[in-house]
Amino acid sequence: MPLELTSITKRFGSREAVSGVSLTAGDGEFIVLLGPSGCGKSTLLRMIAGLEAPDSGSIRLAGRDITQVEARDRDIAMVFQSYALYPHMTIAQNIGYPLRVRKQPAAQIAEEVRKVAARLGLSALLDNRPRQLSGGERQRVALARAIIRRPKAFLMDEPLSNLDARLRVEMRAELKHLQHELRTVTVYVTHDQAEAMTLAHRIAVMRDGKIQQYDTPSCVYHQPANTFVAQFVGSPSMNLVEKSGEILGIRPEDVELSLVDQPGWSPARVYVTEEMGNETIVVLSDGSAQLTARAPAGFRAESDTPVWFRFRPEKLHRFDAASKIRK
Amino acid sequence: MKTALRYIAASIALLAALAPVYWLITISLKREVDQFAYPPQWIGFAATLEHYRDAFSNASFGTYFGNSVLLAALSTLAALAAGVPAAYGLSRFEWARSWDLKIGDWILSTRMLPPIVTIVPLFLMLRQAHLLNSLIGLAIVYTGFNLPFVVWMMRGFFDEVPREVEEAAMLDGETRGGALLRIVLPLVKPGLAATAVFCLVVAWNEFLFALILTQTDSAMTLPVGIASRVTQYEIKWGAMSAAGVVAMLPVLVFASAAQKYLVRGLSLGAVKG
Amino acid sequence: MNTRVTSEKPRHSWRRLPQGFWWTLPSIVVLIALSIYPMIYSVRLAFGDLGNFTRLISDRTFGIATVQTIVLTAVALAAEFVLGLALALLVDSLSRAKSIFRAGLLVPMLLPPVVAAVAWRLIYNPQFGVLNGTLRQLGVNTSALTWTNGHNSALLSVIVVDIWEWTPFLFLLLSAGLQAIPPDPIEAARIDGAGPWRLFRDVTLPLLKPTILLALLLRAMDLVRIFDQIFILTQGGPGTATETVSLYIYRTAFRFSNFGYAAAMSFVLLAATMLFSRGLMRVMRAR
Ligand SMILES: Nc1ncnc2c1ncn2[C@@H]1O[C@H](COP(=O)(O)OP(=O)(O)OP(=O)(O)O)[C@@H](O)[C@H]1O
Ligand SMILES: [Mg+2]
Repeated sequence: MPLELTSITKRFGSREAVSGVSLTAGDGEFIVLLGPSGCGKSTLLRMIAGLEAPDSGSIRLAGRDITQVEARDRDIAMVFQSYALYPHMTIAQNIGYPLRVRKQPAAQIAEEVRKVAARLGLSALLDNRPRQLSGGERQRVALARAIIRRPKAFLMDEPLSNLDARLRVEMRAELKHLQHELRTVTVYVTHDQAEAMTLAHRIAVMRDGKIQQYDTPSCVYHQPANTFVAQFVGSPSMNLVEKSGEILGIRPEDVELSLVDQPGWSPARVYVTEEMGNETIVVLSDGSAQLTARAPAGFRAESDTPVWFRFRPEKLHRFDAASKIRK
Repeated sequence: MKTALRYIAASIALLAALAPVYWLITISLKREVDQFAYPPQWIGFAATLEHYRDAFSNASFGTYFGNSVLLAALSTLAALAAGVPAAYGLSRFEWARSWDLKIGDWILSTRMLPPIVTIVPLFLMLRQAHLLNSLIGLAIVYTGFNLPFVVWMMRGFFDEVPREVEEAAMLDGETRGGALLRIVLPLVKPGLAATAVFCLVVAWNEFLFALILTQTDSAMTLPVGIASRVTQYEIKWGAMSAAGVVAMLPVLVFASAAQKYLVRGLSLGAVKG
Repeated sequence: MNTRVTSEKPRHSWRRLPQGFWWTLPSIVVLIALSIYPMIYSVRLAFGDLGNFTRLISDRTFGIATVQTIVLTAVALAAEFVLGLALALLVDSLSRAKSIFRAGLLVPMLLPPVVAAVAWRLIYNPQFGVLNGTLRQLGVNTSALTWTNGHNSALLSVIVVDIWEWTPFLFLLLSAGLQAIPPDPIEAARIDGAGPWRLFRDVTLPLLKPTILLALLLRAMDLVRIFDQIFILTQGGPGTATETVSLYIYRTAFRFSNFGYAAAMSFVLLAATMLFSRGLMRVMRAR
C-alpha cells in the first residue's frame, strides 16, 4: 500500500484532536477526509505532511516508515486552503520553487514550469505576483507548485473552499481529471459532502478525531455505518426517527408524496416548501414529528395543505438506538 | 471660517515645534557677530560654514561622529543577530509560545527598567573587564538595551506571516532555516528595516550610558561630545550648533524612512498605526 | 513542530529540549548578562550596607529630588496629554496638508535629546537668548526673566522644554489611535443624532481609551527617569531647583563615587517605575 496510517493519535494539551486513526490508500487512490469543523481533518493531514508529529502511531509511504522523517524529505506535496503562495515571488518562481530547492538546472526548471503552467492555463500569468491573481488563479498556481515535482502523494486541505460556487464545481472537475492522469495517491480534506462524493474513490468520515466509516462514496451514502454518517452525508439530511428500540432512517428522495389519499399512504400536512429550481424540498409534519421529502420541481403546495406519503421498507435504514450503529 | 481657524491653530503649533530647531540651524550658520545680535536675526543674515569646518576639523566632532556611526551600526547588528531568532522562536514554537507571555513580560520590564538602575553595576562590571572608554563596551550595553525591543517588534512582524507559507516551503524541500532565510525574512523585510532604524536611532541619540561609559576624547559619542562642550565655562556656540545639526540630520532622515512603523515602534508594537 | 530525530540512536537529553528554546537562547544569555546579573550586582551594592537606606530617609536632597521629579512628571504629563490630544483631534480634522503637519509636529521628539536641549539653551539664555530678545522687541522688560537660571523659574522652564519635546509623542500615538477607530460606531452615533461634543465624549473617547492609557504610561515611565535635558540645561541647578532623582543618583555614583548609596536610590526609583509598568501591563492585558 502506498500510504498506510496505523493508529495515529495526536493530543493538544489534554485534548485528543486525532485518536487512533488507521487508514490505507492504494496506488493512485483519491481519498477524501470528510467531517465537521474541528474534527481533526487538518491535524491528520498535517501529520501525514510532517508538519505535526503524532504522539503515537506510524505513517508509511511507498513502503518506507516516514513517521520520524522531516517534512522536506517525505516527498509529499500539499495544497493549503489559503494556497500559501510566496507573495514576494512571481508565479513562475512560485511554481518552480520546489525544483529550485532541489537544485535542478535553471533551464530545466523553466521548461518544467512552462509545461505545468500550460497544462493549468497559467501561461499568461507567469510574470505576475500572487496578489495580482484572482482566487481561482491562485488556486491553480498552488496546484501547479504541487504537481511540478511529481511527489509520491498529494495532500489538499480544503483547496476549493475559498472559491465561489461556480468556480468550485469547475475546479472540482479539473482536479478529478488531473488526479486521474497523474495517478498519484491523494488525500483531500473537505467538509463539503458534494465535493467528497464526486471526487473520492473512498471517503473517510471523521468525527471528534475518530474515523466513523471508510468506504466508497456509494457505500457511505447507501449503507451509512452509523447515524452520524447517515445525517452528515446527503443533503437534505436523512430523516431519523426512534421507534421501539431502534432508529429508523429514510432519505428524503425515498419518501414518495401524493396530494390525494391513496390506500396504504400516511397522512400529513405540508409544513414548508423550499423550491430549489430543479426540485422542491418539502417538509411534512404529522403533528408530532417532521419529515423531509424531495419532490419534483413542479410540486406546489401551500403550508398546511394535506398530503400523503409512503416509503418502501427496503429503503429503510436501521440503527441500534443505544450504539447508533447500523444493524 | 472654522476651517481657516483650524489651519491657523495647526500652523502655530507647527511653528512652535520647528522654531527652536530652526534657530539652532541659524546659529550654526551665522558669523559670531550675528549670532546673538539684538534684535534677533531670523532671516537675511550672512551665512557661513566656518562653524562646521571648525567643529569637524579643529574640534574633535569628526571623531565623535565616527564613533557614533560605528557604535550605532555595531549595536544594531548585534541586537538583530540575537533578537531576530528569538522573535521567530517566540512566534513559531509551541514551547516558546506557552512561555510567550512570561518572556514578553520579562522583555518589556527590562525595557522599563530606568537605565540609571542598571548603570551603576554595568559601570563597575565594564570597569572590571577593562571595557570602559571603549566602543565595544558601549556597544555591548546598547545591544542589551535594544534587544528586548527587537524581539518584541520582530515577533509582531513574524506573527503576521502565515505559518502556512513557510510550511509550504518546508514541504517544497526547505529546511526550517532555509524557509526562514529565503521565504520568511524577505516577507518581513520592511519590518526588519524599521526595527533596525529604531535601534540605530536609539543608539545614536543615547546620552546617559555614553556619558558615563565613555569619558575619553577618542571614545566619546556625538551627544557626549556636544554635552562636554556645553558644560564648559566658555561655550563655542557656533561649533556646538553645527555639531548638533549634524547629529540630528541622520535621525530625521532615518525616521522619515521608517515613518510607516513609527507608531508601532514607539508604542512597543501595541498600537499598529 | 518538535525536534525530529531520523536515526534510531537514543536521544540525548538536551535534544529533548524544545526547539523554541534554542532560538531564544542567545537573547536570554544577553538579557541575563546585561539586565539580570547587573540587577543582582546592584542588590548586593545597595543592600550590602543597610545604612544606605536609613541615610535615604534623612537625605534632604533626595527628598527634594523626589518631590521635584513627581511634580515635573505630573505637570509635564498633564500638559503633554492635553496638548497632544488637542493636536491629534485638530490635525485629524484637517482635510488638506495633513501629512505635512503630522511630519513637522514630530520633529522635536526625534532629535537627539542633547541637541534639543542645546537649542533651548540658545533660547533661554537671559542675556543673549532669542526668547528674551524677542520679548524685548515686543517691549517687555526682561530683566527679571531668567528662565533656567532663576531659582523659581528653572523647574518650569525645564518642564516647558519637555512639553515641547514630547507632546509630539502623545500626538503621534493618539493620532494613530484616532485613525484606528472604525468609522461605523461614529456614523451610527451621528445617525442617532449625536452632536460633535457628545460624539467625542460618548464614542471617540471611550474607543480611544486604551491608546490613551498606553501613551500616558509609556510617557510617565520616561518622565520619571528624566535626565538628558536637565543635565544639559541646568545640571540640576541653580542650587537644587531642578534636581531630579536620576540626576542625583548620577552625581552620587559618578561624582562622589558612592556606588552603594546610588544603587539604593535607584531601587526606590525602580519601585516607582514598577508600579507604572504593572499598571501598563494590566491595562494592555485587559483589552
Ligand atoms: N496547534 C494547535 N494547538 C492546539 N489545538 C489545536 C491545534 N491545532 C488544532 N487544534 C485543535 O484540534 C482540533 C482539530 O483541529 P483541526 O484543525 O484538525 O480541525 P479540522 O477538522 O481541520 O476543522 P476545520 O474544518 O474547521 O478546518 C480542534 O479542536 C482544534 O482546536
Ligand atoms: Mg482544517
